[in-house]
Amino acid sequence: MSVSTETAPGGRIVKQSVLARYGATLAMPAGIVVLLVIGTVLSDRFLSVGNLTNVLINMSIVGIIVVGMTFVFVSRGMADLSVPATVAVGGILVLMLDDVIGTWPAALVGVLVAGLAGVVNGLLIGYAGLNPVITTLATGIIVLGTAQAFVGGVIVYGQDTAAKDFLTGRLFGVVPVIVLVFLVVALLGHLALSRTVFGRWTYAVGSNPFATEASAVPIRLVKGGAFVLTATLAGFSGVLLGISLQAARPEIGTGYEFDAITAVVVGGVSLLGGSGSIPRAIGGLLFVTLLNNILILQGVPSEPQGMVKGALIAGAVALDVYLRRRGGRE
Amino acid sequence: MSEAVPALRMSGISKSFPGIRALTEVTLEVAAGEVHAIVGENGAGKSTLMKILAGIYQPDEGTIQLQGETVRIAGPIDARKRGIGMVYQELNLVPDLTVAENITLGSPPSRFGVVDRKALRARADEVLAELGAKVGADDLVGSLPVSQQQLVEIAKAYASSPRIIVLDEPTSSLSENEAQALFRVVQRMKDAGIAVIYISHRLREVIDLADQVTVLRDGRLVETRPAAGITAADMIRLMVGRDLTDVFPKREVPIGDVVLQVRGLTRAGHFENVDLDVRAGEIVGLAGFVGAGRTEVARSIFGLDRADGGTILVKGEQVNVRDPHAAVEAGIAYVPEDRKRDGLVPQLSVKDNISLAVLSDVATAGWIRRGAERRLATEKARELGVSPPVIDRRVDTYSGGNQQKVVFAKWLATRPEVLILDEPTRGVDVGAKADIHTIIGELAASGTAILMISSELPEVLAVSDRIYVLHEGRVSAELPRGASEHEVMHAATGEVAA
Repeated sequence: MSVSTETAPGGRIVKQSVLARYGATLAMPAGIVVLLVIGTVLSDRFLSVGNLTNVLINMSIVGIIVVGMTFVFVSRGMADLSVPATVAVGGILVLMLDDVIGTWPAALVGVLVAGLAGVVNGLLIGYAGLNPVITTLATGIIVLGTAQAFVGGVIVYGQDTAAKDFLTGRLFGVVPVIVLVFLVVALLGHLALSRTVFGRWTYAVGSNPFATEASAVPIRLVKGGAFVLTATLAGFSGVLLGISLQAARPEIGTGYEFDAITAVVVGGVSLLGGSGSIPRAIGGLLFVTLLNNILILQGVPSEPQGMVKGALIAGAVALDVYLRRRGGRE
Repeated sequence: MSEAVPALRMSGISKSFPGIRALTEVTLEVAAGEVHAIVGENGAGKSTLMKILAGIYQPDEGTIQLQGETVRIAGPIDARKRGIGMVYQELNLVPDLTVAENITLGSPPSRFGVVDRKALRARADEVLAELGAKVGADDLVGSLPVSQQQLVEIAKAYASSPRIIVLDEPTSSLSENEAQALFRVVQRMKDAGIAVIYISHRLREVIDLADQVTVLRDGRLVETRPAAGITAADMIRLMVGRDLTDVFPKREVPIGDVVLQVRGLTRAGHFENVDLDVRAGEIVGLAGFVGAGRTEVARSIFGLDRADGGTILVKGEQVNVRDPHAAVEAGIAYVPEDRKRDGLVPQLSVKDNISLAVLSDVATAGWIRRGAERRLATEKARELGVSPPVIDRRVDTYSGGNQQKVVFAKWLATRPEVLILDEPTRGVDVGAKADIHTIIGELAASGTAILMISSELPEVLAVSDRIYVLHEGRVSAELPRGASEHEVMHAATGEVAA
């Protein structure tokens, strides 16, 4: 996926300092190139088709969630913390139902039920005006608790190895199917955000909700919609995860919310809303995944890995704030 | 009083903002124990002068003397330290704290870093007793009516033992009876030797309460004179006395049928029983002071705020304006007062802003037809003279005048039957102002019904075919074209025309 970052609607001229303008645009591609060089120098296993394909496969599941999370960020909805729960709903439902109604109908049910949790989030956040972080934290706990009660704390196993083989296989023996699925979702998400009415409304709501409401835009629908989308995509991720592992526990989605948030933030999508794009967020995801890969190849234990990720988030947010100030706006 | 050093002397104060000269060599002298009223139209410079006194703005020229000593007021905290207490129209109280806690909020009495509740209560009682304010010290501020909150706000300013207290429109939200309680408090402060600066649009209050009256007009001092013997008519003459030059050419257009009909529109606490008619091709002015409810009426007609009662008809059909979307569907458009907040989406381009309210019209099944959108934006930007007409440029990189043209463009794209303009020329330069007036004239000529709110009286008088004047949320007068500035001001102040 290209990581060009000037694809926000209508490639526009912005009165900003040179650093702010080109810094924001070129920092991510430059960072990815630097990582590729560092990785190649440090390890001879890094720059191989096998390893880089692994990087892409690792990106794919969380990448689908990143697409939804980008909508949440751009609409100034802060973040969706119920992702682990909706991932679990998708993963568990597809495996519980696959021998009853077949894998693909079961997948659809998983996605829809996860989407339903998103509708609850959307109603509470968009219409009732509750704080998104607290709301999604709460619904996440409720949904996860329900899933645990439902499953009874055991692991759900699947039966459909054909579906697993298809998903973990490669198209024409080259392109991993799961990567392809992710790329299609990312492309659709990108088109939705940059070319549709809903996408434009999402930017407008995030940039100035007052003027947007005064322009006859249904802002509650737009704000809520970002959460419905995120939950639906997280459910879809869970379904893919369940099928490819043929096993799911309620804790299957743990950590995906933070991985997605990290990617979006590192991609330079502002938590303050109104700007950013899917390619940017995917660029952030690629950056984080490459970094992870290098750390693993170097045999760095997981604790320092976490420290590096945390520093990366703080650094990216600080840079966003700095660039906004340098951008010469009030 | 000529012998004594005045508590406050502001001399030769000038202040400019980009494109506007807000104050020109204004001098104000207030003695201890004096109630000094400042009156003037909207935009006459009252607020700017007080914000300079409060340290919020620094004057470009001029000096401030407190008790004869020249000072530089660095900021609001410095102002308070120097004995200047400010009571603004909007209350700055913490609703979840008690009256006593709010009064002592600035410097609660404490022992070893812990708030001394007994001393706090005693101090609050003392302040309330000195002011003669009948407010329960233990009541939660949020549970009190606005009139009592106002007293708490004053008590809070008084608690820091100021030598000067500024009351900015303290009675604008109070009834006659409630205002009486406030006047007693003002009298107590005066007796305590505090210099009270009193800003009000209610001229009768000024006559009853003030010792001295200063009239400002267009950022200049018109006159300071004793309040004794002054009449409301005198003050109005001093406030408006201006030549009505023909700076706003009015285009004569045929006036058609009633398009917008508002009947009995009421929103509790904001406006009551407002009736308005606007005909096709007619420009109707909505005059009145800031806070009289003009913007609130406009917002309710456009569905941004819910009215409590009344009906709105467009071309004879009743419309339920639940939200702006319903208003736009009914053919109503609204160019808001606060362009930054309600008018523009700053991070989006000129094109994106222009198409925002009609995006569905240039889309098929939710998919934006980019060619159609660009054509629409280009056409509207050109029609309104957005310059340069670079529709992909971010809107916040344009000047105020051009931004306003973009807001107009957005609303004209909806092809409205009724266009409500709220301060359409505020914060735009002279050239853009003329452009906007031309646009308004053309819109009227094309049969649009226009309701225009403006704080600039000459603008309202020159452009309007008819004028409604609001006073404290009610229509106090309906004036025909050719009404004088005096008539409007009389109605706006609630005074019967002399």
